[in-house]
Amino acid sequence: MPQRLLHSYPPADQRFDELLQAPLRPREHWSRLFRELQGIHPQRMRERIQATERQIRENGVTYNVYADAQGQDRPWGLDVLPFLIPPQEWHQIEVGIIQRAGLLNRILADIYGAQNLLKSALVPPSLIFAHSGFLRPAHGMQVPGDVHLHVYAADLARSPDGAWWVMADRSQVPSGAGYALENRLIVSRVFPELFRDLSVEHLASFFATLRDSLATLAPSGDGPKLTVLLTPGPYNETYFEHTFLARYLGFPLVEGGDLKVRDGKVWLKTIEGLKRVHAILRRQDDDFCDPLELRADSALGIAGLTECARRGSVLVANALGSGVLESGSLLGYLPQISEHLLGEPLKLPSVATWWCGEPGACTAALERMDHLVFKPANPAHPFEAIFGGDLDVAGQATFRQKIIAHPERYVAQELVRVSQAPVLDRDDTRHDSPDIALGARAVGLRVYAVASPSGYVVMPGGLTRVAASPDARVVSMQRGGGSKDTWVMSAGAVNSSFSLLRTTVSAGDLKRSGVGLSSRVAENLFWFGRYAERCDNAARLLRVALARMVPDNDDEDATGPIMELARRVGMLGEADLRDPQLCETSLLAAATRDAHVGGLAANLRQLARVAFNLRERMSQDNWRTINRLLQDPVFGREASISDILNWLDRAITGLMTLSGFALDGMTRDAGWRFLSIGRRLERLTFTTLSLQVALQEGQQGAEQAANQEANPAGKSMRLGWLLRLTDSIVTYRSRYMSRPEWLPVLDLLVLDDANPRSVSFTAEGVRGYLQKLEATFGPCGGDLLVPHLENLASLDPAVDLHPQSARLLNLLDALRSTGFAVSERLSTRFFNLADAHNRAMLGS
Amino acid sequence: MIATAPFARYRVSHETRYRYFPAVSSARQLAHLTPRATPWQSVQAHRIEIAPAPVEYEESTDFFGNRIVRFALEGLIEEQVIFADSTVEVSAYAPAQDAPSPDWRSVCSAYAEGNSALRFDLAQFCASSAMAPMLPEAADYAMTSLQGGGPWLDRLLALSQRIQADFAFDPAATTVATPVQDVFAQKRGVCQDFAHLMISCLRSVGLPARYVSGYILTHPPAGQVRLIGADASHAWVSAYCPEFGWVDFDPTNGKLANTEYITLGWGRDFSDVTPLRGVVLGSGSHELQVRVTVSPLV
Repeated sequence: MPQRLLHSYPPADQRFDELLQAPLRPREHWSRLFRELQGIHPQRMRERIQATERQIRENGVTYNVYADAQGQDRPWGLDVLPFLIPPQEWHQIEVGIIQRAGLLNRILADIYGAQNLLKSALVPPSLIFAHSGFLRPAHGMQVPGDVHLHVYAADLARSPDGAWWVMADRSQVPSGAGYALENRLIVSRVFPELFRDLSVEHLASFFATLRDSLATLAPSGDGPKLTVLLTPGPYNETYFEHTFLARYLGFPLVEGGDLKVRDGKVWLKTIEGLKRVHAILRRQDDDFCDPLELRADSALGIAGLTECARRGSVLVANALGSGVLESGSLLGYLPQISEHLLGEPLKLPSVATWWCGEPGACTAALERMDHLVFKPANPAHPFEAIFGGDLDVAGQATFRQKIIAHPERYVAQELVRVSQAPVLDRDDTRHDSPDIALGARAVGLRVYAVASPSGYVVMPGGLTRVAASPDARVVSMQRGGGSKDTWVMSAGAVNSSFSLLRTTVSAGDLKRSGVGLSSRVAENLFWFGRYAERCDNAARLLRVALARMVPDNDDEDATGPIMELARRVGMLGEADLRDPQLCETSLLAAATRDAHVGGLAANLRQLARVAFNLRERMSQDNWRTINRLLQDPVFGREASISDILNWLDRAITGLMTLSGFALDGMTRDAGWRFLSIGRRLERLTFTTLSLQVALQEGQQGAEQAANQEANPAGKSMRLGWLLRLTDSIVTYRSRYMSRPEWLPVLDLLVLDDANPRSVSFTAEGVRGYLQKLEATFGPCGGDLLVPHLENLASLDPAVDLHPQSARLLNLLDALRSTGFAVSERLSTRFFNLADAHNRAMLGS
Repeated sequence: MIATAPFARYRVSHETRYRYFPAVSSARQLAHLTPRATPWQSVQAHRIEIAPAPVEYEESTDFFGNRIVRFALEGLIEEQVIFADSTVEVSAYAPAQDAPSPDWRSVCSAYAEGNSALRFDLAQFCASSAMAPMLPEAADYAMTSLQGGGPWLDRLLALSQRIQADFAFDPAATTVATPVQDVFAQKRGVCQDFAHLMISCLRSVGLPARYVSGYILTHPPAGQVRLIGADASHAWVSAYCPEFGWVDFDPTNGKLANTEYITLGWGRDFSDVTPLRGVVLGSGSHELQVRVTVSPLV
């Protein structure tokens, strides 16, 4: 019953239809998938789609769209139906891409070498010389193995006659291969049987080739070869992919500030000192890579990198200057260049494209404006693609003048009616619809090639990009489009045993720790620990504070010190303390509003920010837990006190889960120690502060009691909140029958070595971790704590554990300031390496 | 007008001093401070002294054939001095002001329709560059001097003289990053701005032009001695005509450059031949002091 699936599937309307060869008749290679869809229960399909969407959200698969209201967190758009390509058709694409990648690499070698193509005018010299991607400092550079283009991508589209065409070449930092991999991981789980039955080619070998090829071409020396993945940072639109690839390939993810040039080589700043870097897989545009020789205004670069590449002491992939090919202006010249350099025609043609900088081409383009789309020729003069046919007469006249004024800035490209492929229409998968139904969208295919010692290798698959709406003409992730997994069907058996996990490790290669921890990562781990603990403290404090707002609360708690503590951590202002209504409003805001400084929501944001910077080091489980907290429904609506109390319970559970991952799931390396020190220091500061506030209140209470001689001792103390705040109420109740009293409470919270929340346990923990670090790195500040720990051990419960004890108060005060001092010491010793930044200067 | 001597010898010292607050932990620099040897200029002596001593030092040539020095310093640096000392001899190289030259419009078409070798050579200097872009206002301004054609040399000299007349020399008006558009708007600037402005004018009407970095001999007021360090770097424009090759125009002084001009190097604009560019690792600010002395030698 194909009608059921196809009842809302639109006719192709002069497009090539990927799915149907005739109305209601699927093409041969789609028939198996089509049967699967017919056989599946609509409800079951909906569940699978929802599970996919949840997985994308919780794994934090994102694509940042500039100027998008949702900013950094726009979820990756994935349609679960794979895009299918039969073997013989794929073979055509593959040989075409191999030829093209090789040709483009030869062109780069010429542009940055002899420049014969320019001298013989096979490429107009002004096309290259006026292009902002032509990096003069890269001219004359010898690159290892003559490979400029290590990773190449081409955007393909299929015309109505079924032929594939190249729309654009990606040579700067081709993106999307990581998303293709992520799509594969998700979609192959949606259709596991289908995936097996269709003998889909696997992707892993492509990435292994990339890794091996970089290792082969990279220079050696100063220890084992180290490849890093260079990212411009979390604000880049494909940052998720950088973290994902770094983790998958096993390359440390670095920003420019993590690297340093010294002695003509590139080094990674780690907490153990500098580690030689042999290869840089860059996802940062080349002109931003070196503020000394390239763009002086780049704060992201590595001063001196160009010189290292020139000397061959580091492999930069893609080579500096490769971005010059990323302009449609070259497309029109490729057929002649191919004949000239390779002696053969292009196997995969480009869509007809003209560079308006050639006077003849410009005239022709202006005459046929209606049928053309105009694109920027030079990244220095960007604009959104303009469809000549969309402009009215006046618009065309104005645009014509702009082109005539600067023809060299424009490329004119023939419009292609790209093919349409089936998608699962979201509207039709709602619960009230009885069936699943297929819609259609325009699609484009991005395919990838990687250089290897034996020539270019094409990824058997790729990123199918899907237009945002049924009538959209531009297929673009920047414009909010979606994607599909691309299944290349194999003619023979698929080698499914292959995986990136190698089987070539011998006993001598065993590693007990990773590459040196970079200073930036160490700092982020430290702050991850601090913020996680700070969130936990904020949630617990809010819980005891808000409980005071609910009637029928038993009278174990004193309101005064709780609110005072909330004021000291910044959740409440002076005015809030005088007005209960104001106070309640502020506490509620502290629970859910990002803008409320010192509150739970604000600290969660900070935690997420730090976690984001640690993406490649965090497991999916960690990330999922954080995302659940950030996406909690409480943020979306007006919440009552009881809603918020429920949220606080969920928050504390989530934060405990995170803490459990750190305790149970992380290797005990230096990174883990930084995280743990951060956590313990934060706890030490918070617990000592809480005790100080409680003790001060206790002092005043005792004075009043002495004056009035009336209050029964136990009632005046009201210390339940302190025990709940420090998660020690259960222990207390199991030990003492009485209501909380100063002596046992202080014993439990200050001296008890077995209570993980006690001052003694926490401070001892910090010292222990510092000692471990000191064994490797020398003095780190552990000595600062020693006198106070000794002092703590010598406290006499009978004499010192009460609010009037000056000794106790002084000791708590000293411990708190030592906490700050240790933090300071760690910053200077380990983090400042990452802290200082490049500053470019020009002198006349 | 004083008759131009057939040649002149100079000693040029160029001292750059950086003070860092607080001290920086490393510095990496690239200098265009070595005079370029040309058919009309010979470099008889040259040295660069750097204090504190660099841990890396390398001499080389850039894309345009200018001599450059790259160096790096490590360790805490509070103050840094880069001192370039050169002795050069410059022969008269400007064409006579009244030398006959073709119509400037034929120079444009000679380039556009010329053989590929010529196009290749000149393509660099015809296109917009970041600091000397083609602009409608630059084309308009240029056309006032160029309207209706006329001899290339005569018209370009007139253009440079108009720039000198229309724009006020004012070191406080601009920085190294002021765009040409702003210089047009405020009608003030320094030699670097006027050079960029004239290059923009020429490129905007299809004439190839490049930026020249160097020094100019200044004349102390009558009866006074030459002050050490009172001179400055200078910048001017080189334009191409098939009759002469490259000819240097100085829009700051409204004349052809000749034996009073010492060439360091050339590029598309200032950013290609910045005398000293660098990157330091640190978190504070810095202070820069430049002292240039051009002394005639007998």
